[in-house]
Amino acid sequence: MSGALPFIVRRLLAAIPVLLVVSAATFFLGRYAPGDPVTVRTGGKATPEQVERIRKNLGLDDPIPVQYVRYMAKFLRGDLGESYRRQGRKVSEIIFPKMWVSLRLNIVPFVLTYLIGVPLGIYAALKRGRWQDPTINAVLLFLAAVPTVVWMPLLVYVFVLRLKIIPTVGWNGFLSPSIILPIVVLTIGSFAGVTRVVRISMIQVMGEDFIRTARAKGLPESVVVTRHILRNSLLVLINGIIGSLFFLYTGSLFVELGFGIPGIGRETFEAISGRDYDLFMALTMIGAISFILANLALDIIYTIIDPRIRYS
Amino acid sequence: MNEKKLLIGLGAVVGVLVLAIIAVTAVIIAQGGGGGGSQSGAGTTSSARVSGELRLPGDDPLTLDPALVTDVTSAVYIVELFGGLVTLDKDLQVKPDIAKSWDISPDGTKYTFHLRDDVVFSQSGRRVTAHDFKYSMERAASPETDSPTADTYLGDIVGAKDMIRGRAKEISGIRVIDDFTLEITIDAPKPYFLAKLTYPTAFVVNKDQIERDRRNWTRKPDGTGPFKLQEWKIGERIVLVPNERYHGDPKPTLKRVTYQLAGGSSLTQYENGEIDLAGVGVNDIERIRDKSERLNKEFVEKPDLSTFYLAFNTRTPPFDDPKVRQAFGMAIDRKRIVDVVLRNIVPAAEGILPPGMPGYNKDIKGLPFDPQQARQLLQESKYQGRLPRVVLTLSGQGQNVGPVIEAMLEMWKTNLGVEVEVEQVETATFFQDVRRGRYQMWELGWSADYPDPENFLDIHFYSQSRQNETGYSNPEVDRLLLQARTERDQEKRFQLYNQVERILVQDAPWVPLFYGNSPVLIKPYVKGFQPTPLVTPILKYITVER
Repeated sequence: MSGALPFIVRRLLAAIPVLLVVSAATFFLGRYAPGDPVTVRTGGKATPEQVERIRKNLGLDDPIPVQYVRYMAKFLRGDLGESYRRQGRKVSEIIFPKMWVSLRLNIVPFVLTYLIGVPLGIYAALKRGRWQDPTINAVLLFLAAVPTVVWMPLLVYVFVLRLKIIPTVGWNGFLSPSIILPIVVLTIGSFAGVTRVVRISMIQVMGEDFIRTARAKGLPESVVVTRHILRNSLLVLINGIIGSLFFLYTGSLFVELGFGIPGIGRETFEAISGRDYDLFMALTMIGAISFILANLALDIIYTIIDPRIRYS
Repeated sequence: MNEKKLLIGLGAVVGVLVLAIIAVTAVIIAQGGGGGGSQSGAGTTSSARVSGELRLPGDDPLTLDPALVTDVTSAVYIVELFGGLVTLDKDLQVKPDIAKSWDISPDGTKYTFHLRDDVVFSQSGRRVTAHDFKYSMERAASPETDSPTADTYLGDIVGAKDMIRGRAKEISGIRVIDDFTLEITIDAPKPYFLAKLTYPTAFVVNKDQIERDRRNWTRKPDGTGPFKLQEWKIGERIVLVPNERYHGDPKPTLKRVTYQLAGGSSLTQYENGEIDLAGVGVNDIERIRDKSERLNKEFVEKPDLSTFYLAFNTRTPPFDDPKVRQAFGMAIDRKRIVDVVLRNIVPAAEGILPPGMPGYNKDIKGLPFDPQQARQLLQESKYQGRLPRVVLTLSGQGQNVGPVIEAMLEMWKTNLGVEVEVEQVETATFFQDVRRGRYQMWELGWSADYPDPENFLDIHFYSQSRQNETGYSNPEVDRLLLQARTERDQEKRFQLYNQVERILVQDAPWVPLFYGNSPVLIKPYVKGFQPTPLVTPILKYITVER
């Protein structure tokens, strides 16, 4: 663990150019894309002189590199700017509540995905070559192959309109019945992937020499599975978990649209089509930063659980 | 043996988890929606019923500033929160609001408004005077406010254009005579001027509030409308409560109005009893129109003052030749499109003005569907049947082009032998480029801002108009439009507009396709809902008997 601090510092420094590239690419692509927020804001009703003046007031008539530098300077001071679409609203006051909504919506499916997916994957791996494994595989493939947009109306029809046991939509907070269907839809679509990853990684480890050695030593099978196979399959799993942590607050567009959840997925979509420059810049930057941090965390965790990996 | 144990163990874990999930779900359902959701706040949740509450589907307004609003979505809230000198009633007649009466000078250019002396702002309780109107309109016209609508709605007032252009510090045509008398002078006798004052740009706002907090004042708008804003959570809900200081009639009886902003299928929510009103889309219209359907009794047709049309750029080939435009129009069977594709959710269009619009004349007929003549016209045109590449531009991104467009493309192909290409342009760019005259042909809709034919015909077809996107220029039409602007005999004025309409239908810069219509479902316990085709205050007429 001695090398941890310099390692972290080095990694953080290396992240700076990455962030610069990501921010510049998003900024320039956004500005050079056709369309502009002033047209969206004025509904195409303003006079050309007015459009010019509004653009000037918003600083949109400056050269784009100048705008970029100005944006980054503000960003570094922690100012995420102002929404172009929702006039008079700060970007931060729009996106953080919405991320919070998406986070709460996604946390349960996230946990469920692993709670169901991991045991199922272990089970399938242990039952390889028997009927259980292909059955699980087939069912999971089916569940994952049916798209979200099919699940949503189907479940709504059955549970809301026919059985009338769940109110449809809307967001009434974390602990309300209307969150059940979104949770189901989000879980169905994702735990199949986890199961498959766990299964494959288990099977791989099971074929290793040290497993044969462990068995040959006469260790009880439960010990072989938990201590040797599971532990060694963990890396892949942790990789998956950390990787998908990132998606917790990026939102899920279809589910948010379909079930009427005021999350960040929908906001992102609308920000892009509404040319809300500062808003989607903020989302990109937050996304990039958390991605970098998640990967850093991942590397540190690796060194803890796998002594073969060292800081270098 | 050991493997079995492990499997049993794993199975037990999964089983317990499933049971736990079922149990939690059951508990949540048992709580029955009242769930003390962590962030749902003190307000009631969507499914809980409050007596006297009206629950509507809605969208987030882009702004609640009357001077800045351009979209219907935002205007719906603004007309309930604010008011002006005059308003529109349910029949789209101009009626007194804060002005109790007005005199018009013999030459038709000077309006003297006599204000009520009992009107106060909803939040602060401060009395509204003529000074507030002068302030509000000048604020809208000020370059600092950058109102996109000031030019259209206030531009007729003497001196307003100077202020909009930044050449004057005030609007010289607005004079405060005393606290409750306001005099407005316009540049020419224009009979539609009063109708323009019903639009939010001319609404009264509270100077004290705005000067205190220029950025955030619309979060607690201090208007004079029948309702007040109680809560607005972006993407979640807007809650309006009655303004107990409201001066007008009738007074609102609803206890609160909740707009669900989160989206989702509003028909499902409606059927499930979560909202009291829902729009009906083309996919559901046949089911709802079916008399045996339970929902049929709750169904109301709601005409919009809007016309959907095909527009041609009259400055570029091949549509610079009216014969080509006519040919394209005659090759389209509008009635069939409306019948087969749109399942009669909307009526097929004939003239440019939609039904319900003052000046609408049902005797005006659109171009007939006549493939033979269409082909002949194409031959007679200066292109003699050999057209350059023709592109139809649509707004939207990555969507399917829609069955209406597909039907038209097919009709052009079969009836004219012309393959029209389709190009989709993302909305923001689309409007910009329509203005710049970059497209050959496009499809759009126009909704009336105020109930006067001028709002359709003059602004789209007067050769000098800013919104003349087709580049249409016809001296005869210009002459008639100028004459209609100042004609004070309503009958004669509408006749002039009808004349213009007849010329336009024949000359075909636009081919009107169908008129707007928004059928809605309304719960039987909602009384007094009268759909109006324009955005006017309607909530005060509604009662909920539940």
